[in-house]
Amino acid sequence: MSAAKAPSLTKTHAAPGEPLVWLTAMGLALGLLMVAGLLGVIVANGVPVFWPAPLVEVTLKPGVQNPVPGGGETFVGRLVQQRVKRTPVLDAAGRPQADQSELQYFIGNKDGYGSNFVFINRADIAKTRTPKDILVIERMEYGPAFGFPQRLATSDGKTLSASDPAFPGALRALVAEGNARRRALETIEKRDIGRINAEMNELKIRGRDSSAPTKAMTALEARYETLASEARALRLLQTAATLTYQLPNGAVKELPIGNILGYYQPNQIGIFRKLGLFLHNIWNFLSQDPREANTEGGVFPAIFGTFVMTMLMSLAVVPFGVIAAIYLREYARQGFFVRAVRIAINNLAGVPSIVFGVFGLGFFVYFLGGSIDKTFFGDYLPTPTFGTGGILWAALTLALMTVPVVIVATEEAIAAVPRGMKEGSLACGASKWQTIQRIILPASLPGILTGLVLAMARGAGEVAPLMLVGVVKLAPSLPIDGEFPFLHPERKFMHLGFHIYDLGFQSPDSEAAKPMVFATTLLLILLVVALNLFAIVIRERLRKKYATGAF
Amino acid sequence: MDPTLETDTTDRRRFETGRMTLLIDRVMTWLIRCGGVLVVTVVFGIFLFILFQVFPLFQAARVHELKTVQLPQKKFTILGVDEWGAKPFLVEPDGNLLFVDYASGQVSEIPVDFGGGPAHEITAAGINKREQKLIVGTADGKYALVSPGYKSSTGEGKNEVTASPTATKFSDIGIPGARILDIAYGDSGSQKLVVALQDADGKKSVSAQLLKRKRSLLGAGSAEVATAFDLTPFFSGQPRDILVPATGDAVIATTDEGEVIYLSLQADGGFQKVQTFQPFGDLADSRVALVDFLFGDVSLILAAETGENRVFSLFYPKGASVRTFGLTQEFPVLPGRPSYLVSTQRNKAFLIGAAREASLRFRTTTSVRWQELLPFTATKAVISGKYRRILFLDEQNRLHFYELNDPHPDSGWKALFGKIWYEGAPEKKWEWQSTGGSDDFEPKYSLVPLIFGTLKGTLYAMLFAVPIALLAALYTSQFLDPNLRGVIKPTMEIMASLPSVVLGFLAAIYIAPLVEHRIPSLMLLAAGLPAAAALFGWFWSTLPIHLRKRIRPGTEWMVFLPILALLGSLLWSLGPAFESLAFVTTDPATGKKVADFRYWWPAVTGTPFDQRNSLVVGFMMGFAVIPIIFTIAEDALSNVPSALRTASMACGASRWQTAMRVVLPTASAGIFSALMIGLGRAVGETMIVVMATGNTPIMEWNIFSGMRTLSANIAVELPEAPHHGTLYRTLFFGALLLFLLTFFVNTVAEVLRQHLREKYKTV
Repeated sequence: MSAAKAPSLTKTHAAPGEPLVWLTAMGLALGLLMVAGLLGVIVANGVPVFWPAPLVEVTLKPGVQNPVPGGGETFVGRLVQQRVKRTPVLDAAGRPQADQSELQYFIGNKDGYGSNFVFINRADIAKTRTPKDILVIERMEYGPAFGFPQRLATSDGKTLSASDPAFPGALRALVAEGNARRRALETIEKRDIGRINAEMNELKIRGRDSSAPTKAMTALEARYETLASEARALRLLQTAATLTYQLPNGAVKELPIGNILGYYQPNQIGIFRKLGLFLHNIWNFLSQDPREANTEGGVFPAIFGTFVMTMLMSLAVVPFGVIAAIYLREYARQGFFVRAVRIAINNLAGVPSIVFGVFGLGFFVYFLGGSIDKTFFGDYLPTPTFGTGGILWAALTLALMTVPVVIVATEEAIAAVPRGMKEGSLACGASKWQTIQRIILPASLPGILTGLVLAMARGAGEVAPLMLVGVVKLAPSLPIDGEFPFLHPERKFMHLGFHIYDLGFQSPDSEAAKPMVFATTLLLILLVVALNLFAIVIRERLRKKYATGAF
Repeated sequence: MDPTLETDTTDRRRFETGRMTLLIDRVMTWLIRCGGVLVVTVVFGIFLFILFQVFPLFQAARVHELKTVQLPQKKFTILGVDEWGAKPFLVEPDGNLLFVDYASGQVSEIPVDFGGGPAHEITAAGINKREQKLIVGTADGKYALVSPGYKSSTGEGKNEVTASPTATKFSDIGIPGARILDIAYGDSGSQKLVVALQDADGKKSVSAQLLKRKRSLLGAGSAEVATAFDLTPFFSGQPRDILVPATGDAVIATTDEGEVIYLSLQADGGFQKVQTFQPFGDLADSRVALVDFLFGDVSLILAAETGENRVFSLFYPKGASVRTFGLTQEFPVLPGRPSYLVSTQRNKAFLIGAAREASLRFRTTTSVRWQELLPFTATKAVISGKYRRILFLDEQNRLHFYELNDPHPDSGWKALFGKIWYEGAPEKKWEWQSTGGSDDFEPKYSLVPLIFGTLKGTLYAMLFAVPIALLAALYTSQFLDPNLRGVIKPTMEIMASLPSVVLGFLAAIYIAPLVEHRIPSLMLLAAGLPAAAALFGWFWSTLPIHLRKRIRPGTEWMVFLPILALLGSLLWSLGPAFESLAFVTTDPATGKKVADFRYWWPAVTGTPFDQRNSLVVGFMMGFAVIPIIFTIAEDALSNVPSALRTASMACGASRWQTAMRVVLPTASAGIFSALMIGLGRAVGETMIVVMATGNTPIMEWNIFSGMRTLSANIAVELPEAPHHGTLYRTLFFGALLLFLLTFFVNTVAEVLRQHLREKYKTV
């Protein structure tokens, strides 16, 4: 565009810099795509975990090595993923070779096959079909079994063939019975025997000096014996009835009914039954304990641990955060010092979380915990009680980490309370505390809540400091239970974030753990995103309320 | 009474503030003051606590005298000690041991039973520290092994040490009947090597005896087969001191002429001279006064007649296939001829003294841990096995007990930041390796590779995050449809809330295997997307206005979403074709041509290609850093007073010109602070790095290799670090560095932001 010519509005020239505006638009689009892509990956991998996908029978082309032992030309599995396999070696002419498509199947029956997954080239597959009557059996051990039911042997010595019309009903009844028995067993072994063990331990430690409490000990031992024999009897019943089924490779297996958690025929059930199973699986995931080195079962202890830890953290963080904010805003003399403190507190929110973990380990666990042990739990030493990581120390460490968030949010909320309200209250003769209690705190409550929710979201998602102060891959007992004093602040706990780290990186069979990790990730993301959205909504409301100027 | 007065008093009371109210107010004021000050103190207490934990790392050794015990006037050959320094012994000329009990101060002589026979005069003795055994040589060419037989019993809070010495029978070695001047032995379990220096009528000779234990099925090898060697021909000068390493497969000897001779026992059973060197060849007086092994028997401590002190270590010089001794450390010169030199069985420390000067030194860091002028002249010294006590024997045969308090000898500024010549290494280097397989392992606590790793991770994260975040912030604040801002900003904030363990897990399990095969695709994407965006913008702006009108200003990004997705997948799938064009290399194993970036990169650059590399970390850290930079930069940009913008627009500037020349310069301080805070986040990120890199503490900028950052190092090593050990405190020091770095960066950013706010007020 030359300066001599008058710019014309109808010409094609756009304003200078328009292409670069488009470049910046790409920045935003990329950022949004990244968020969407990440959430998409998690959802796409996390949701199908619960869906009862069909099982296919794959027939291989003649001459292709069957990865399943003894299966002849076929194997049965659930399609997990397909991927492109490249051959990087160039052919004689220097041209790249054609890509191959590779399929991954989950074949189950780990006890029979040895491994859970097979990879097969798409080109090697002759045909696939879905066998109608194949059964998926969820078991206590070795992951699910895929097979064709043959007969049922009940505890009274009768056998029932799978072709018998009474078979489905009998199986259903037996499995329901087995599940009920398992729950009863769990109650005995975990709750009752656990309680006796704890009492015995207590007695042993008390009785280190004297030999008096032997009488109580014998009584406990007798009670233990009764319970143990009760458990033994139940255990025997669990293995009394068996289900015989044939693996797709022809091998015949026998499974005690007590080991069956559930079963379904994935290729026969309709969409509603599938939906039902889907919801059932989700519920199981949320409510059950993990099995098989955390790769099967649910994540209930991790959810519960995360919840209790976050609650304890909130209990610690709210009073201190709010008091500090009120002090800085209403009581401290505003000047250079308070400004410096404010900047410092703000910056503390940017200090890496691992530093707080280091502090928590050094101060809470070793210093405070060690002192508590020496003073109150000397009998138990050298086994530490509080002198090792635990849920209380984890909560306090995270509270320290998130207290700046609450202080900053509360201060902002207090500062946003219109001056008129405060002065009006003071003019009416209210004392300073009355003004704070009746005017300032209620008005800034949404702000405090925002801070708290943000702190909770950060606390729930943080892992690095927890690794140092008490999180474990498998906690033997929950931090809150029916045993006195109900809340056990010294216990180690499980955490959703650490569960992801542990499953993804320390699992013996990382491929088998993948579905579980993605499901846990989805859960954690949903939790954290929901908390954040909640905080954002409150904040927007707060902003609108004071922007319109209610007074 | 005047009725008005009465109403007045009641009224006054009515208007008085209630006592309870005042009380509560006072209590609450007090409570809040206390609470507020408490919270603020606690928050700063973190820093002080960590500092306090780190402090002992930089302390020198503290040594002070505990007790002195007078011994009988005899000539003792050697001074030895138990692990605790509670019951040292001295070897008397008749072979008996003199024990000194620290607690009671009692001196007791315990006769040693050498299996009967006539008494021999002990003329030389050596201690095998690893076996806690003694070898004694006699005036008539015999030797025997003596064990002090220490036993400790813990009871009533006190540690009781008792000794019941045992000995083997005397055996002959070398020239029969010749006086033994020096003797040493090494025992590897399967073989024992005894080497003696003898005086045969004024002629010095060195002989060795190799005892192999025959493992029989019936008993634990009592039968020993001896092979004798005469080592004298290896010496051109007069041999003086003899050392045998604990492995029993080598002999090190010094000569009167100042040479050190290193002989090695070969697999075929003969000795071979590996090396002869003059440790003090550069000095006027090149004689070696004293020599000893350092713990681990890989390094020699040597002292010259004039007080120079050097350490030579065994290592493979570059290109050599035989390990030889080379000078690795030089310590400060002592005043005069050193009279004693002892090492410990705990770490790489040794004690050396000349006249009244005593000096405790540490090899790894070449540091003097403690040096003092003693009130006596010591002739012998020893350090207890637990490195808690030092014992000196002075000229008047008084035994001085000193307490040694030096919990972290292997630390200090030099260990943490300096280039160090570690044992076995061919050169000085920075290295982090905190634990090793054996007891005599030398821990390497250099923080430099970790700081390097931190900077590397941060750099790649910022390289990826800064352009996207700033472009997005500029667009959102300046060009985006204002109605959409309420949706866009929270969406980006959600990104900030994604737990880093999720990002790390996805990086390692999902992104790393995906990207591994697709580096060329990524290159195409990195180059293609911005170019395509700018090109499309240029093309669009050349279109007639009635077409351009169709896209409302502020909604360009929506057009881009499908375009980007399409173009992205196209470029992604073009990657393999690009790879087979540009990244072809020949596989050395098969000789075939391979189009694979993973082989091409190491073949061309010589640096490795790892699956979990900095590229993946940088990308995933982008998720953590982008929203932070975006949010703060967007705030800074949109807080620029609108008067400035509208004035610029009114003057006829386009929206781009306004953004670049008016808004951006005004908000530059805020953008800088956004970058700083983003940097702070990247520096401290832990889980992503732990999970998505190999965590190897290497020092190279290669984008396709991993690293180990300060934060990941803490997460990996602190759970296993013993409480209050050197590693524990060093990790705390790492945390302190992280704290200071992020705190400093954030404070600069915050001060800048406040400054900016002040500036806007005046505009």
